[in-house]
Amino acid sequence: MGDQFLQYVLNGILSGGILALPAIAFSLLYGILRFPNFAIGTYITAGGFIAYAANVTLGLPIPLAFLLTMVLCGFLGVGVDQLAFRPMRERRPLTLAIVSIGVSFILENMARFIWGNDLRSYNLPVQRGMEWGGVRIGKEQLIILLVSLIFMVWVQLLLKYSRLGKSMRAVADNPMLASVKGIDSEGIIFRTSYLGAALTGAAGIMVGIDTAIDPLMGFKLILSIFAAAILGGIGSATTAVGGAFFVGFAEEVSMIWLPATYKSAIGFGMIVLVLLFRPAGLFRRTQVI
Amino acid sequence: MINYFIAILTFVMIYAILSLGLNVQWGFTGLVNLGHVGFFAVGAYTSAILAKLGFPFIFTLAAAVLLAALFGSLLALTTLRLKEDFLAIVTLGFSEILRLFLLNETWLTGGANGIIAIPRPIWQYIAKHYDLFYLLILSVVLVLLFLFLERLRLSPYGRMLRAIRDDELVAAVAGKNVFRSKVQAFSLGAALAGLAGVFYAHYLSYIAPDMFIPLVTINVWVALIAGGSGNNKGAILGAFVLLSFLESTRFLKDFIPILSGFRLAAVREILVGLFLILLMIYRQEGVLPEEKIQHG
Repeated sequence: MGDQFLQYVLNGILSGGILALPAIAFSLLYGILRFPNFAIGTYITAGGFIAYAANVTLGLPIPLAFLLTMVLCGFLGVGVDQLAFRPMRERRPLTLAIVSIGVSFILENMARFIWGNDLRSYNLPVQRGMEWGGVRIGKEQLIILLVSLIFMVWVQLLLKYSRLGKSMRAVADNPMLASVKGIDSEGIIFRTSYLGAALTGAAGIMVGIDTAIDPLMGFKLILSIFAAAILGGIGSATTAVGGAFFVGFAEEVSMIWLPATYKSAIGFGMIVLVLLFRPAGLFRRTQVI
Repeated sequence: MINYFIAILTFVMIYAILSLGLNVQWGFTGLVNLGHVGFFAVGAYTSAILAKLGFPFIFTLAAAVLLAALFGSLLALTTLRLKEDFLAIVTLGFSEILRLFLLNETWLTGGANGIIAIPRPIWQYIAKHYDLFYLLILSVVLVLLFLFLERLRLSPYGRMLRAIRDDELVAAVAGKNVFRSKVQAFSLGAALAGLAGVFYAHYLSYIAPDMFIPLVTINVWVALIAGGSGNNKGAILGAFVLLSFLESTRFLKDFIPILSGFRLAAVREILVGLFLILLMIYRQEGVLPEEKIQHG
């Protein structure tokens, strides 16, 4: 039982690492645009399939496919923002939330149209997992976790020290003041859309390596991503990471008692509990985004 | 051919009830509901399960509508004091978790196989023209609902809901209990979705979890926005528009040969999504915009 518990904890850390990037992206976008973007889920799907095309169809090695996917997903995010969200900047945020659902339907079905509903996987050499004292971990999973951690740190540094990060925080904190100070808010939205979709696309490959690639791979994670962002106190990219690990951990450990099919119900349950008892999130907020 | 039209009209009526429900929530009160299909499913499954246990139709209908309303109030009570974004997330979550429940709790719901041979009310007396009879009953229900909702819209209560939608703060300052009214409006919308579910289940006499996917919610949004949000006639017209749209795209495969199986389904869903976005951007008021009411 002890070993088994450790295994679940480890799995929790791994899924937290995968959830963290989309949760950061969701929080960044929410901070700037002020609506819950449901299209985040399909950016995962898009990332998974773009990497599939690069890796399997074109035969590129995974690291190269990874970079290509991030670049292309960024453009996808910008394209979606320009075509679907930009004409509606002045509307009620909820109208945009509905539009984002429409976007996610379109993207998911474009993937379905091209690749169908089958489960797919990347061309990866089969590697032996490592094992210490009954706890197993795959080499790919370790790399995923490491890459994800690097990106988390990078985003934090970007937000804290770079000019872009400071402008993003300024727009999130007070758009009016930011524009008075001469910050070009459309430019910030453009770059945040790129960054958010690129990070989420990266998570898409991770999901694809860890499980499988299919048109619903992103939508299935949307509740967990929202749960992570809400636990982190919606709109904060720093605490979203904490939220992601918390949700990942809770989902995996709950598998000790619950059938695996109910995994995403854990995320939902946590959303409801947090909303009822701690609507500002689990952590004390110190800064915007 | 005539049977085909009866079937289509039956689905139009069911979608019209769904759309009227969403209209109470979004059109009148401005509450977002991305899990409408969840309440539809609660209605369908509750009525089907009770009917299989031998309860009479009137009883199963009442129980189903009440349970859908109860779920609606619980979700609204949980989230409506907070930012409205949360309602969007929680309603979507509710409908997805409910679908997981329907898939997994085979002892109650039949799992992926669903529930078959759901009794059709008073079938034994009128088996010959049953579908036509069912359509008539449904039309009567729809007309009564329409009259009720029109009265609601024109009443002081309806005016209060619009006030909450347009400026919550002003409504609160005017002494209206904003939170309570929102919970009521949301529950009423959920109850209507439940009612639509009852008619759906007993019409098909078969239900399964894959009929209650988020696509249904999107369809209802398309219907409402196309017809005219805030306008009851628009909500019903929207159901006609939607079903015409869906039925006409069904024939796409006759013209475009590569569209087969999953590809056709994908193209139709892309079109529905596109239609929704274009409506939202360019014609948010729909075919029949909300009528201005002069309060004298």
